[in-house]
Amino acid sequence: MKKIGFILSAVILLIIITPKTNAQQMKTTTHGGYKIGDSATDFSLKNVDNNIVSLSGYTDAKGFIVIFTCNHCPFAKAYEDRIIALNDKYAPQGYPVIAINPNDPTVEPTDNFEGMQQRAKDKGFTFPYLVDEGQHIYPQYGATKTPHVFVLNKEDGKNIVRYIGAIDDNYAKPDEVSHKYVEAAVDALLANQPIAQTNTVAIGCGIKAASKN
Amino acid sequence: MCFNVYGQQARKKAIKPAAVATQQQLLKIVDFDELKTIINKKNDKLYLVNFWATWCKPCVAELPGFMEVNKIYRNNPHFKMILVSMDMAKDLNTAVKTFITKNNITPDVYLLDDNKRMNEWIPTIDTNWSGAIPATVFYRNGEKLEFIENVVEKEELVKLINRHL
Repeated sequence: MKKIGFILSAVILLIIITPKTNAQQMKTTTHGGYKIGDSATDFSLKNVDNNIVSLSGYTDAKGFIVIFTCNHCPFAKAYEDRIIALNDKYAPQGYPVIAINPNDPTVEPTDNFEGMQQRAKDKGFTFPYLVDEGQHIYPQYGATKTPHVFVLNKEDGKNIVRYIGAIDDNYAKPDEVSHKYVEAAVDALLANQPIAQTNTVAIGCGIKAASKN
Repeated sequence: MCFNVYGQQARKKAIKPAAVATQQQLLKIVDFDELKTIINKKNDKLYLVNFWATWCKPCVAELPGFMEVNKIYRNNPHFKMILVSMDMAKDLNTAVKTFITKNNITPDVYLLDDNKRMNEWIPTIDTNWSGAIPATVFYRNGEKLEFIENVVEKEELVKLINRHL
């Protein structure tokens, strides 16, 4: 039995380490994390007011707009007013914004807890701004940058991922936005319609982790 | 939109004028269609394309290594390093230009001003790119050879270039 186990693991290992044999030796980086339809984990993270926030605490919510964001990133800053507007529009309709700062403050000091408290105060955040202490949550979601949005929908007691990506199609000029991706996704959920665009990508600041490199 | 940083260095270091004439650094705003024609040239050159921004700390941290590597390879006729800045277009002549001069950035720098179409051009560069920077891509003759959505240290960069050159 032991021997079979050994052979089996050797075969599995071989499959894993066998390099791609195509002529170009094309390599790309891939990300773990959630895909559309996956059930997202709940969390207990500290808010800027020192209270612990969990998704399960929102008994009346129909879902969530989870946004990984931070203090220092120009893209994140450019979107702050739009994140506030999202919460103001959709929290009353059952989809509150939950902002999470995933960055390691030892790598990016301006993203420390005090900085978060200051930012939330200065901007008048109307939603929780949580710290991913120990950086356990963002890798599970598969967030890679700030801002990075995950729209969750409560289905049979689970928080199902229904949209992953950008807030809209113009970080620099809010008045020139023509596709409000997150709004379209939440509107579709509210109307019980399929979401037309479930994944989008945009440039953002890579999430800072001390362990990497 | 073009300025010659190399020329200033050349005067200081008294490099032969002939070398200066062939090494004029570009600093230019482009859209993705223009960038595509630049990085997809079919001239047997290995294009190392680095996406960065002056405000991106890990990008800025990896650039000195990239510059050392460029010093080694930039006279190789089969190699060309290109930096693609994700800074805002309005910052080109201030933050970006200052950064380039201060940090002795030697390759051509293109500021990609195509925010509205990020959701189109990011997957065109690589289907797995989430949009985080720094990101580095290798091309030759319009074919993508490698894509890295992460910091690349100097030693690793040399290995990658040698693998593809």
